[in-house]
This record gives sequence, structure tokens and C-alpha cells, in this order.
Amino acid sequence: MDDILLMAYVDGNLQPRERKEVERTIGVSADVAERVALLRASALPYRRAFQRQQLPPVPESLARNVAQLIDAYAAASGTRTAGRKDPAAAWASRASGRIPWSSSGRARPWASACARGLEYARPVRARIRAAAPWAALAFVAGAFCCATVLRLTEGSASAVLAQTLSPQAMPAGLSPWVVAAVNYQRLYARETVASDLPIAGLPQIVEDIRRDDGLSIRVPDLRSLGFTLKRVQRLRFNNKALVQMVYLPEKGSPVSLCVITDDKPDATLAQQHVDTMQVVTWRQAKQSYALIGTSGDRDLEAIGKYIAGSGSGDLLSQLLSAHPLARSQS
Amino acid sequence: MTAADLSALLPSMLPRLWTFALRISGDRHDAEDLVQRACVRALERAHQLQPETAPLSWMFSIVQSTWINELRARSVRSRSGMDWDDEFLETVADPAARTPEQHAMDGQIVQAVQRLPDAQRVVMLLVAVEGLSYQEAAQTLGVPIGTIMSRLSRARQTIGALFSEKQKSAASASSGKDQGA
Repeated sequence: MDDILLMAYVDGNLQPRERKEVERTIGVSADVAERVALLRASALPYRRAFQRQQLPPVPESLARNVAQLIDAYAAASGTRTAGRKDPAAAWASRASGRIPWSSSGRARPWASACARGLEYARPVRARIRAAAPWAALAFVAGAFCCATVLRLTEGSASAVLAQTLSPQAMPAGLSPWVVAAVNYQRLYARETVASDLPIAGLPQIVEDIRRDDGLSIRVPDLRSLGFTLKRVQRLRFNNKALVQMVYLPEKGSPVSLCVITDDKPDATLAQQHVDTMQVVTWRQAKQSYALIGTSGDRDLEAIGKYIAGSGSGDLLSQLLSAHPLARSQS
Repeated sequence: MTAADLSALLPSMLPRLWTFALRISGDRHDAEDLVQRACVRALERAHQLQPETAPLSWMFSIVQSTWINELRARSVRSRSGMDWDDEFLETVADPAARTPEQHAMDGQIVQAVQRLPDAQRVVMLLVAVEGLSYQEAAQTLGVPIGTIMSRLSRARQTIGALFSEKQKSAASASSGKDQGA
């Protein structure tokens, strides 16, 4: 009896007739019984175990190089906007990266291929190895580098923002942090968060944010609208803590609620469109909020009203009251 | 899919590509170069990504094939048993872990999977850890679905044998204790 059939049996994937056949064989074959016992013993919480594997975070150099690579491709496809330095020229003047795979002796000669208009693949390969500070793109997702990715200096912010928004497209009156958050959100596709596992240790994350970032955040419960909370990320903008809560609706692109401290007086909801994105902003109790999504997906203003009016309730307190152990486990 | 579409997805996939590369290569420098090379290859071939293929599975396949090519170039069959970085076999005590036993078990599971032969390990990582279906794993590795199931079954029997032994040892230790009491 083959192992694939036995594995399907152990996993409960057989039809009743096949299952009976396997059970009959187990009764008469010690070998089959032994293999079934081993397969049963292998039913272990693999995913949980690997989530706790002690791995180094994504190296900043890798995040930077991939961002630079993406930028190089954007430039090649003509999507780069005005106001940027020429990546090839910048790269050429700064190229200093190590050559990967040198142990295999297969590194490509690239130093002379940087001029624009040459065969593209080679300069791109080269460029990702170069260190170019201007290209330290802020828009790299994931908690692994959230402490640094949005740490834009005043000088670099305009360069980074100009990457995806031309001055004409940047609405007047929109705070720079909102523009940065909108651009970050722009990179989110449904697939970006669809496969995220449920957030582990949400109470701890929220407590850390309240204690370390000084943000009095409430995680809105949007389940009644069909929105599932996927991420709570701690980012920084100009050395200020910025929290991004990402929700996935039943259909369409993810929606994010971003929060930052702000001393300005309270402000009522305002909706704006930033080319393909829409954003609803408001201020309450010395915190600014931006609800960001893709234009045309849904009525963000209504959702913003729902959240701002506290109609949504606090997801965290509801989870804690439903599962009191969640607090002690976190 | 265009390179621009893929560009938008790559940053968010980076953490999972990084951990996958670390787990198959066992070395952070190799993993970093591996992911960089995979991203270059992916952007060059973005037009080959079909709508029915999950971008993450496709990226895993590029990372995996890039690693296999690299091993070939180095004239080694596998990294296992060579110079695996043991620090990656440790697990952290997650605050959500209920007991020290659970934490110890997490570590044993990681070690058991990481010490499988390469072909079996990558299937376990894709199916049991990354949650790919057998079909997606088959596409990722470019092998028939039967091969995936066969490798998975062998891997699970190896791991099952390991954990059966542990259970037996624990049981006999406990019964020895009972008898001594």
C-alpha cells in the first residue's frame, strides 16, 4: 500500500470506501500499521514552530537594494516622474557594493554598462549592488524594518514623494505624512495581506504603542463591514511614531487606518483623492487619522465617520472579553 | 503581469522570501544574495507570471531554482550537514507559548525539518510552513504532484519516527520515575 494513500488516510482525505480498505490492511499488515503510526506522529504544529524560529530580520541592505532595483525598473519603463536624479548617473558615481557570489567566480562584469540606453539587465543587476542613499525608498512593507523605513529626513522626503506623485498630483493641504502613507498604501495589493496569518500578540503590540509611541490607539472593529484586521504596524515619519492598521475587505484592495500624534485642534472629516487613491482625514484628541484606500472601491468617508464616531467599537477589548487568556498569553 | 505590477508586490513579499531563503540556504549572506538575484530574475521574467499563479509561489520557485543553480555552480549537492548555521535552529520563547514544553517542542520541530534531505525539506517548508497546496508546491518546484506527496510522506515518516522515539523515551522516563517513587 503506497505512502501517499496512507498519508491521505492519516490526514482524513480519503473517501469512506478507501478508508475502510486502509483500515482493513492496517489490521493485517504490521508494516502498514507502523507507517501509519509514523505519519500520525508527524502531525505537528509546524507553522507555529517556524513562526517562532529565531531568524535575523530582513537586512536593511537587502530592503534597500530591492527598493533600488524596483526603482531602476520603474525608470526603465518610463514611470519615473520628473524631479528625480538620474539613477544610472547616481549609481555610476557611487557604485561601491560588493559583488555577490564571488565565491563561485560568476560575478558579472558590469562597471562599464551603466550608461542609459544600454542593454538593461546588466545595469540593473549592477545597480542593486550599489549603495545609493537617495534611493533608500521608504515604502518597504513589513514589521521587520518599520522602525526605519519611514524615517524620512526633511531633505529626502520630497525626493521620495516625488517618485510617485508629481507636484500637480499632490493635493494642497495634505500633510506630508499622509502623502507618505498614501504612497506606502499604494504598494498594497490584495495579495499583500491576504495570506497574512492572524496577528499574534495584538494586546502586546497595542500596549507597546501606547507606552512607547505615546499614541492612544484604538483598533476599530470593522468586522460588521466585512473587514478583517490583517496588520498593525509601527512606522516612523520624521522621527514621529506612525501606526498603520491594515484591513482586508471581502473584496477589493486593502484599506489602512494610519494614526500619528498631532497638536493641532480637532478637525472634522475631509475626503481627498490622490490620483488612484482616496484618503479621509480627521483629527481628534491630539491625534491625526488618515483612512486610505483605492478610489472607487468603497465609500471611505462613511467608514471614516463610523470609526471617528466610535461606532465601530474596539476590536482589542472585544477579543479580550471573548478570550480572556489572550492578555495573559501575550 | 508586468514588471511594474510585480514591483508593487515585491516589498511586501520580502520578509517571506527572506525567511524562505534563510531556511533553504542556512546562511544569511547566501540568503541575501539569493533574494537579490531572485528579484532580478523575477523582474526580468515578470511577463511569464500567469494570472492563475500566485506571485508568492512563483517567487519561491525562483528563489529555490536560483539556490539549486548556485549549489551546482559550487559543485555541492546540498548544504545540509555542511556548514549550517546552528543559530537558525533556535526558536524564541514566544509570549503566546503556553508552556516550556511547547517551546521545547517548537525547537524540536524546526530542527527535525531543517535536518531533512534538501528535496524533502523544501517540500515541508512550502506545504507545512508556508501553507501551499500540493498543486502549488508542485508548480513551485516544477515537479509532478505525486512527487510532492511522495517526498512529503517520506519526510513526515522521518519526523514521525523521531517524535515517536521522543514520546517513547518520555514515557519510559516517566514510568521509571513512577516505579522509583
